[in-house]
Amino acid sequence: MSAIEIRNLSKSFGPVRAVNDVSFTVEAGTVTGYLGPNGAGKTTTLRSLLGLVTPDAGEALVNGQRYTTLAHPLSEVGAVLEATSFHPGRTARNHLRIMCTAAGLPARRADEALETVGLADAAGKRVGGFSLGMRQRLALGSALLGEPKVFILDEPANGLDPAGIQWLRGFLRHLAHERGAAVLVSSHVLSEVEQTVDNVVIIARGRLVRQGTLAELTQNGDTAVRVRTGADFRPALEEAGARVEEVEPGVLRVFGMDTERIGQLALDNRVLLTEVTQERSDLQQVFLELTGDEPAAAVGTEAGR
Amino acid sequence: MIQLIRAELQKLFTTRIWWAMLIVMLLLTGLSLFFIIFFAGEPAQNGAPGLPALEDPAWLPIGLSAASGGTIFTMILGVIMMTSEYRYQTITGTFLTTPQRGRVIAAKLGAGVVVGVLFAVVSLLVVGVTCVIAVLAAGGELDLTGNRVPQIVLGVFASLALYALFGIGLGALIRNQIAALIGAIVWAYVIESIFGAIPALQVVGKWLPGGGAAALMSIDVDTGLGAPDLLPAWGGALLLIGYAVLFAVVANLTTTRRDIT
Repeated sequence: MSAIEIRNLSKSFGPVRAVNDVSFTVEAGTVTGYLGPNGAGKTTTLRSLLGLVTPDAGEALVNGQRYTTLAHPLSEVGAVLEATSFHPGRTARNHLRIMCTAAGLPARRADEALETVGLADAAGKRVGGFSLGMRQRLALGSALLGEPKVFILDEPANGLDPAGIQWLRGFLRHLAHERGAAVLVSSHVLSEVEQTVDNVVIIARGRLVRQGTLAELTQNGDTAVRVRTGADFRPALEEAGARVEEVEPGVLRVFGMDTERIGQLALDNRVLLTEVTQERSDLQQVFLELTGDEPAAAVGTEAGR
Repeated sequence: MIQLIRAELQKLFTTRIWWAMLIVMLLLTGLSLFFIIFFAGEPAQNGAPGLPALEDPAWLPIGLSAASGGTIFTMILGVIMMTSEYRYQTITGTFLTTPQRGRVIAAKLGAGVVVGVLFAVVSLLVVGVTCVIAVLAAGGELDLTGNRVPQIVLGVFASLALYALFGIGLGALIRNQIAALIGAIVWAYVIESIFGAIPALQVVGKWLPGGGAAALMSIDVDTGLGAPDLLPAWGGALLLIGYAVLFAVVANLTTTRRDIT
């Protein structure tokens, strides 16, 4: 049984098909990045998973059950949604204590969670005076109250400063790799999660476009070697079985041949190469190609819905 | 369920609105009590008998009934208990903690009863002590068991608690806080008073929440327009409970089922 299972999930808001037949799973002990541009359907998927949105079709299960049927939801799933969902007049500690009371958890868990997310000093302060980063930490604290093994986080890095993002990355990896939790984290900024996630699920316009490990995503087998030479090297390469593209005079992209073989061919043909570079498939590039979106929309800083 | 009710009470008492409401309630109740004491024994302007004198045993129940003026405030608190969840989007966290939404509404209704009873205790203490002092100072005899005094006290408890429920039900139905509050206040101060005061409309008025609350205490003070036509006290209580349950059930079938996005 997977920790998180999304099966043929579809949801429309009026005429807008927010999520269209999406299926994927998240296993314990891994961090899965749920990526896509703003408005791709990430938040709708996560909210369906948490029982806040009722899907039109399909299922979204946590530990094999629908969220609304979990007996102790806070002890099974930790969720971080928008940063604004706190009463401004209530203190951080009281906010968490109320959740502890409702969930039947001991009140000390509130202070322990605040300690973990680095808000112990601000525990008695009203949330109204909190920065976005502090609210985000408080939201993470609320997810930790029941010490769950499944985490669902919607754009948790929004509003965090670089140090906070660094801390968050480490924390998510710690949860998954050392405590065996299943972590599903959404983001519209690939670079934010690139160093954190084991697996990626990419969604665009409500449809799932790719899922797999991070390594699989970048190794799409079609990488080229960039060769710069003043000589006419192309016939020799093609004769040896490579596919060659001329980028500009003197610069070739060679497919289907590694750098060592190209060097050997150059030596055999007494050709001088001034550059031999293995092109790497840039993850951001792959992301943009897959989601087919304007770069500006994909790397913007606004929260996705 | 006890846990959830405790959590709901914690929500209310960890923000500041409750004591603001309590203070305003005491001020307004005090003001109306002041007039009831000040005009005691004075004939009405048209020469008809007005309020009984302070030493008249019939005065005490009227003085005590000033505490029922707190209904509007427990109703407002009820509306706020429900609508602030949507206003500040804390409803997300609430439903994540308790995904069975009907239980959340039920817990809020339970907490509303507690809040209503607490407000009634405070209000009755302040009003009661003032009334006792006023009666004794005027040389009257204190009779706490006759003249419907126990019924008035019970009525204050019941009406403050039931108006809190009414407010919660209304808030669940109208999620917009401002709209719900304006609706509640216009209802209580304008529509209810029209239907409660004009004899021809009392046929309808006695079936409204205000009519229910008045019936609960049998406050049949003659306003110069004839004694009001009211339900029996138990009927008034049932009526208010009915409204709260109706609102909560309708809300449960409509508003609270909606997606939280």
